[in-house]
Amino acid sequence: MNPFWATCLILSSLLEGTRGRVLYPLPSKEHKHKQPLQTSRPYNIAHRGSNGEIPEETTDAYKRAIEEGADFIETDILATKDGELICFHDVTLDDTTDIANHTEFSDRKRTYQVQGFNVTGFFVVDFTLDELKSLRVRQRYPFRDQQYNGKFSIITFEEYIAIALDANRVVGIYPEIKNPVFINQHVKWPNGERFEDKFIELLQKYGYGGAYMSAKWLKKPVFIQSFAPTSLIYISNKMDSPKILLIDDFSMATQDTNQSYWEITSDSYFEYIREYVVGIGPWKDTIVPPLNNYLTAPSDLVYRAHAHNLQVHPYTYRNENSFLHFDFRQDPYEEYEYWIKTIGVDGLFTDFTGSLHRYQKCASGILR
Amino acid sequence: MSPLWATSVLFFSLFLGSHGRPLYPLPSKQQHKEKKALQTSRPYNIAHRGSNGEIPEETAAAYMRAIEEGADFIESDILATKDGQLICFHDVTLDATTDIAKHAKFANRKRTYEVEGSNMTGYFVGKFSCISSTLFFLQVYLDFTLAELKSLGVKQRFSFRDQQYNGKFSIITFEEFIAIALDANRIVGIYPEIKDPVFINQRVKWANGKKFEDKFVETLQKYGYGGAYMSTEWLKQPVFIQSFAPTSLVYISNLTDSPKIFLIDDFDIRTQDTNQSFWEITSDSYLEYIANFVIGIGPWKDTIVPTKNNYLTTPTDLVDRAHAHNLQVHTYTFRNENSYLHFDFHQDPYAEYDYWIKTIGVDGLFTDFTGSVHQYQEWAQASATNEASALGLLHKLALMISSFEGEE
Repeated sequence: MNPFWATCLILSSLLEGTRGRVLYPLPSKEHKHKQPLQTSRPYNIAHRGSNGEIPEETTDAYKRAIEEGADFIETDILATKDGELICFHDVTLDDTTDIANHTEFSDRKRTYQVQGFNVTGFFVVDFTLDELKSLRVRQRYPFRDQQYNGKFSIITFEEYIAIALDANRVVGIYPEIKNPVFINQHVKWPNGERFEDKFIELLQKYGYGGAYMSAKWLKKPVFIQSFAPTSLIYISNKMDSPKILLIDDFSMATQDTNQSYWEITSDSYFEYIREYVVGIGPWKDTIVPPLNNYLTAPSDLVYRAHAHNLQVHPYTYRNENSFLHFDFRQDPYEEYEYWIKTIGVDGLFTDFTGSLHRYQKCASGILR
Repeated sequence: MSPLWATSVLFFSLFLGSHGRPLYPLPSKQQHKEKKALQTSRPYNIAHRGSNGEIPEETAAAYMRAIEEGADFIESDILATKDGQLICFHDVTLDATTDIAKHAKFANRKRTYEVEGSNMTGYFVGKFSCISSTLFFLQVYLDFTLAELKSLGVKQRFSFRDQQYNGKFSIITFEEFIAIALDANRIVGIYPEIKDPVFINQRVKWANGKKFEDKFVETLQKYGYGGAYMSTEWLKQPVFIQSFAPTSLVYISNLTDSPKIFLIDDFDIRTQDTNQSFWEITSDSYLEYIANFVIGIGPWKDTIVPTKNNYLTTPTDLVDRAHAHNLQVHTYTFRNENSYLHFDFHQDPYAEYDYWIKTIGVDGLFTDFTGSVHQYQEWAQASATNEASALGLLHKLALMISSFEGEE
């Protein structure tokens, strides 16, 4: 064959290939009229997916949560060595992956300071995304179902978003800007961009935006959460999506501003921070402190937050009796009842999406 | 004062004293004329040893809490004391659920029995119950009178449950248990067990050659219990008599027509009186035979649906066959703690109720958590009615309309 002719043929077939075919929506995705987000009762927030049943922050855990009726699927966003955003809770891989079985990484063990504490382990920030993808996730708690250990991998922020957008009803996302101080110390992006910038860029790439309860937001609901107030303030210039300030236990100071629990839950601070966030996410036991595993009198935190028009989404609700105070007689539904009806919270981070959904469905007396 | 006169006064005042005052009903009990009836439209909520998830088992407080929480029946195990009194107590030893260890004056009552080569030490109320199919020594004897037992304080059996009532309550008698049920402001049934009858009868002798079972039935009849299942008489004072010993149930069927339930233990346990295996007593021919004497069986959950590695496997046909012989199935025991929940239920006790009531179709549940079962059943009933109700329909319409709100 004439070389010239062959070259022309190849060139033109390349053109043909790149011209592509007409883009049409996939038949399975004809979900024009998705059932909207419910907004008439407290949000069922699937904390790390339905991790009571399936290892946390995996595709399957999120899909199970959606199946079980979650309003929002929640995740923690960290960054890898090569600057990719992934869904992972701990800064170390030891507790929830099979890193110990990977001899090729055995020299990566380090000790770093994380929020003032020395932590030793295999750090996420020392691995590229490809390397992390070679690991397998496992169930954190030994008393939960172990049958999926080693079956699933870590997913990226983008994959997580795709799960939500792919659902056949409107499902919100609830990602956390996790350990931003630590991440920004260890991972550098080009053009001086920070962790928070990459986080926002990804959300905007997939069309997230709009103030709380706007038409745009209702199509793609999102809450952005963080323990670091400066991160939330920083992104509020770039994105009007609703933000939630997470609040840790009494003894923990904020990682970026070193403020105490008492300072960030004061009335004056609420008045300041409500310019930037629509709500707070406190730890349950700081709202109603327990004593010897019994509830004591509730504090006025929820009342004051509501007075400042701040929502309250406490964490974390778990079915296991070791997590239930005796007042609830080992019944997780009694706990939901107390927090929703007596305390009056606006959202619940739960490891057991299905149970909360059943409670809300049954307690209202209406099938959904 | 003249001694004769004083004596006369005393004598006559005795008469007055003993003549007594007329018996009238106590005001607090007047308005309970029309007690709310026992529910019979859904599986029975049987408060296993009372609401012992919260309060130490088989105490007055545990039973009253169970009634408060909506129990259909309060359940108890009846044993006999050294002096032939019938009490509510589950174990033959006092160690696990009382403060016996603190009572120095009883320290000399501690006994050691050899059980298949391993020693079991404890304080025995009566005999040691059969937990294995092989023989063990029968050298048992009842060690405590009722008065002595009443001096003990009951404690919560499980360390992971609420300990705040430990030592506050005492062991109660069969009669006190009955009184709690009759005293409720709605109709509450009782579900007493003729427990360990073989060994009780070996150990305790009653006057006139009476046996444990005779005294048991006598107590029930003294308080007016009787009548076949679902008869008017029964509905006023519902009762199920349960036992692991078939001969006891057969024996008392001559004495009372109250409904009886035949309890069935694990696969490898034989009946204490007839030494029959699980397979024999769950066979079709045996069910046909026993159906003449009992109206139902009470099997252990994991024999109906065997488990493997804490997952359910395929259900057996035990429930179907029992139902085919017109025998009810009341299964034990439902507990909220995740260590008792198979992974299929993802740590949710209500998912377990759902499975057993809707998928397996049992007729009664022995539960340590009366309140949870009650809540589940109330919700299930409400949602069933709501489906057909106007409100449910309205909601369905709203959902249909909202799905068209779509693009704007």
